[in-house]
Amino acid sequence: MNQYDRIYFQLTRDTGRLGGLPLWFVFRALPTVVAVALLLMLLWPAPGRAMVTAEGDEVALDGIASGQMLLQGEVPGHYTPAILQASKVHFDISGMIATVAVEQSFRNGTGRALEGIYAFPLPDTAAVRFMEMVIGERRIVGKIREKTEAKKLYSQAKAAGKKASLVEQQRPNLFTNRVANIGAGETITVRLEYVQQVAFANGEFSLRFPTTVTPRYMPGAPLSPGGTEEALAPLVVNPYLGWAVPTDQVSDADAISPLQFPREGDERAPLNPLEVSVRLDMGMPLARVEAPYHDIALARRAGVYDIRLANGVTEMDRDFVLTWQPVSGAAPTAALFTEEVGGQYYGLLMVVPPVSELAGPPPARELILVVDTSGSMGGVAIEQARDAVARALQQLRPEDRFNIIEFNSNHRALYRRPVAATHRHLQQAQEFVHRLRADGGTEMLPALRAALETPRATDGLEEQLPLRQVIFITDGAVGNEQALFAEISARIGNSRLFTVGIGSAPNSWFMREAARFGRGSHTHIGALEEVAGKMGLLFSQLSQPAAVDLDVIWPGQEARGDPAGDRAGPGQQAAGRNDPTRAVPRAVEAWPERLPDLYLGQPLLVAARFGAQAPVGEVIVTAEIGGQPWRQAIALSTGVDPQSAPRHKGVASVWARQKIAGLLDLKVLGHSEEVVRAQVLPIALQHQLLSPYTSFIAIQEIVSLPPGERAASVPVPNTRPLGQAPQTFAYPRTATTGPAKAWFGLLLLFAATLVRAMRQPELDHVPPGRE
Amino acid sequence: MSRPVANRDWHRLLALLLVLAACQQLSAAGLIKAKAWLAPVLIERAWAQSLSLGGRPVKPWPWADTWPVAKLRVPALGVERLVLAGDTGNALAFGPGHSSASASLGSAGLAVIGGHRDTHFAFLRALPSGARLQLQLPDGTWRAYRVESIEVVDASTHDLPRLTGAERLLLVTCYPFDALRANGPLRYVVGAVPQAGAGTATFAR
Repeated sequence: MNQYDRIYFQLTRDTGRLGGLPLWFVFRALPTVVAVALLLMLLWPAPGRAMVTAEGDEVALDGIASGQMLLQGEVPGHYTPAILQASKVHFDISGMIATVAVEQSFRNGTGRALEGIYAFPLPDTAAVRFMEMVIGERRIVGKIREKTEAKKLYSQAKAAGKKASLVEQQRPNLFTNRVANIGAGETITVRLEYVQQVAFANGEFSLRFPTTVTPRYMPGAPLSPGGTEEALAPLVVNPYLGWAVPTDQVSDADAISPLQFPREGDERAPLNPLEVSVRLDMGMPLARVEAPYHDIALARRAGVYDIRLANGVTEMDRDFVLTWQPVSGAAPTAALFTEEVGGQYYGLLMVVPPVSELAGPPPARELILVVDTSGSMGGVAIEQARDAVARALQQLRPEDRFNIIEFNSNHRALYRRPVAATHRHLQQAQEFVHRLRADGGTEMLPALRAALETPRATDGLEEQLPLRQVIFITDGAVGNEQALFAEISARIGNSRLFTVGIGSAPNSWFMREAARFGRGSHTHIGALEEVAGKMGLLFSQLSQPAAVDLDVIWPGQEARGDPAGDRAGPGQQAAGRNDPTRAVPRAVEAWPERLPDLYLGQPLLVAARFGAQAPVGEVIVTAEIGGQPWRQAIALSTGVDPQSAPRHKGVASVWARQKIAGLLDLKVLGHSEEVVRAQVLPIALQHQLLSPYTSFIAIQEIVSLPPGERAASVPVPNTRPLGQAPQTFAYPRTATTGPAKAWFGLLLLFAATLVRAMRQPELDHVPPGRE
Repeated sequence: MSRPVANRDWHRLLALLLVLAACQQLSAAGLIKAKAWLAPVLIERAWAQSLSLGGRPVKPWPWADTWPVAKLRVPALGVERLVLAGDTGNALAFGPGHSSASASLGSAGLAVIGGHRDTHFAFLRALPSGARLQLQLPDGTWRAYRVESIEVVDASTHDLPRLTGAERLLLVTCYPFDALRANGPLRYVVGAVPQAGAGTATFAR
């Protein structure tokens, strides 16, 4: 009896025991099958499968891609957002300080009252100090309030049907404006005023005004439903209508992820129109004034330049940048701008260290190129990045070592350890660069860690090269900046980090701060034509000695006892000098407290508060450049008659903003949020500045909504950054293998029957003696 | 001499293997159907609990990696489906899933719900343009939608746009409905917009 027959015998016996086949089927077979099926069902999640590639395409679905924000009753195919936004910006530039007025108008095109939520960028050094809401002829001046208090006032006003506007700072360069109860067909304008320092580098002044936000990647796991039952948080309605959900690494992801127009911007009929006007008064003859990304019209009267957009209006899909250069010889080398506010004197000091010629060739270096190849770099940005890396490779000399790390959701290094810049290696590297594609997430932290990881000195295989420089090429489109700064600050060691901002709307705050914590410099590349020039400048900075150990001795202040000892290590020194508990009364309070190293062409910029007395005497700046001590004294205004001293509006705001930024650094260095908040809040309130802990709120004390009616909230979309590929995601995989399996199973059964049928005749040929 | 014997054994073995393979395939097919049919019982209970907890996610069984996030109703067809979190295979095996890459349900942006064409979303085939859809959110409110477009899209060359504008609901399933091939590139896409007049409509629970 073989196996087959034994099973059959067993089954027959079992059937007999239960009293017939039908009963056996009901009581034995069916329960077994159901039990097994249930067990398998719950333990084995069989996925349906389908191969879907995530290669981005222009538009996913006709009509659907552009069907958002559809107004009721409107003809399909003609789309208008519920709230139309238009901006106007006016720059008043005088010396090193620009006072900027930004007007945002929100027009409700629908037939019912709405709340508009607009997330917008501003320069990362902007000190926002004034806000007002304009409704027709009426102006309501906004008040600065503690953040939660302002939010409460706003919610109350909104619920009561009053018109209100709440401007909050989400990041130093990213803000939200919520405007409640905009009536049908009405327009509400919100006016902001901020002060910012003009940038000066390589003999050129510049000013950058961002207009849109590159969608940021939010690392971490979504905060709401988590793994365990306890961790499941209640579902909350996303108050900022952002596309991202808060994660454990970016808890405010919804506030910094504004929605975008589905279609790309249009220069002739802008989705978010921007008007620009500039009054440029430098008090010195200028060689040129340029806006690299916009067409401008220039008028000059008595040394004051009047600048407007050539077309009057532009799309808000790229940073507005204005650069100007004094005629050669007129460029400043040192200046102090002062202002008196509330009986206190404030000053902004600018000093340009001299260019020191290096004796002999620069020392050999190890260069690590880190390239962001995440999805947000898709489009022209990745081309600019590829070109930048290729040009950096051309600058290497045989005695240098290098490596390339690309990162998106994962990071990948070209070589396991940095290799000598031989012809063969460089060729391999160029090929590697040529193949870089933009796709996936932006997991920056592990990539940074890999880039800053120095081979141990005990390795013994290769000696450490004198310079270790990391060039970080990215658009900075991430939501976890603070964590990255902390990582850089903790791991920078002897390496130096240089950031290269790529694209039409990079996260400039990330570029500047990452470079500051990495003790390097930052640069921006906004167009492919700029790559060569900007990378050339960067490399001249990389090969020239930097001015280090900077110190400023203010009038009436003693030189610090041991500057070298004070700068023992970046972390140590910062912790010691920035300790908030150490309250030493200082005649002059200067920010930043920790002066950065200065690279070729970079000026020193320090904001100071002198107290109730106008500063007299001289300021002395000392540093070490290429091993040589350097010292410069700057004579201050005589102070005989404070009224006659040159006054520069906004210096006090710049100082307060610098101080807030300096205090916020404590958070990166590991101090608790409460300590930082307690320090920042009084400064922000005193100087009426927007900060992470203070918001502007304006409320019209008239109820404009019929009782019982509630205004729906709608997002005011941003324009997609110029040249950026649209961000997409793949369709779900929605077929099971069920029908195929059922069909195949039946086919197999049929085949089995066939085999059985074919077997029958063969029985006749079995030799009799076999059994 | 031993050839016919070997031949007979070979035939028996082949028949047995074929039957076993057939059973495996058929039970796998049955399992897919059984999961799709049985799981909603547990999910329904989790949804009721979720609603009573004011929208807290409740997992239908302790080791589940998904939970109900909405209830979709098509009054015209008498269809009711519980929408699960996530549109990976793990979730879709038990019910239609809301793509986590898309916008949240009931808020601004493009929200995508995917479902298997041979189980939970087989009804899409009968869904006419202009049909009314109702969606219950975890807070208990109902939202009304109207089917505005029905299209077939090639998913291998098209992706869904992210980060865009106002509310829109997409119901996605594979196409053609009767195909055997599980990894076909075509998708049947039903687009719905919030009902004109009232963006939200609250019905008695």
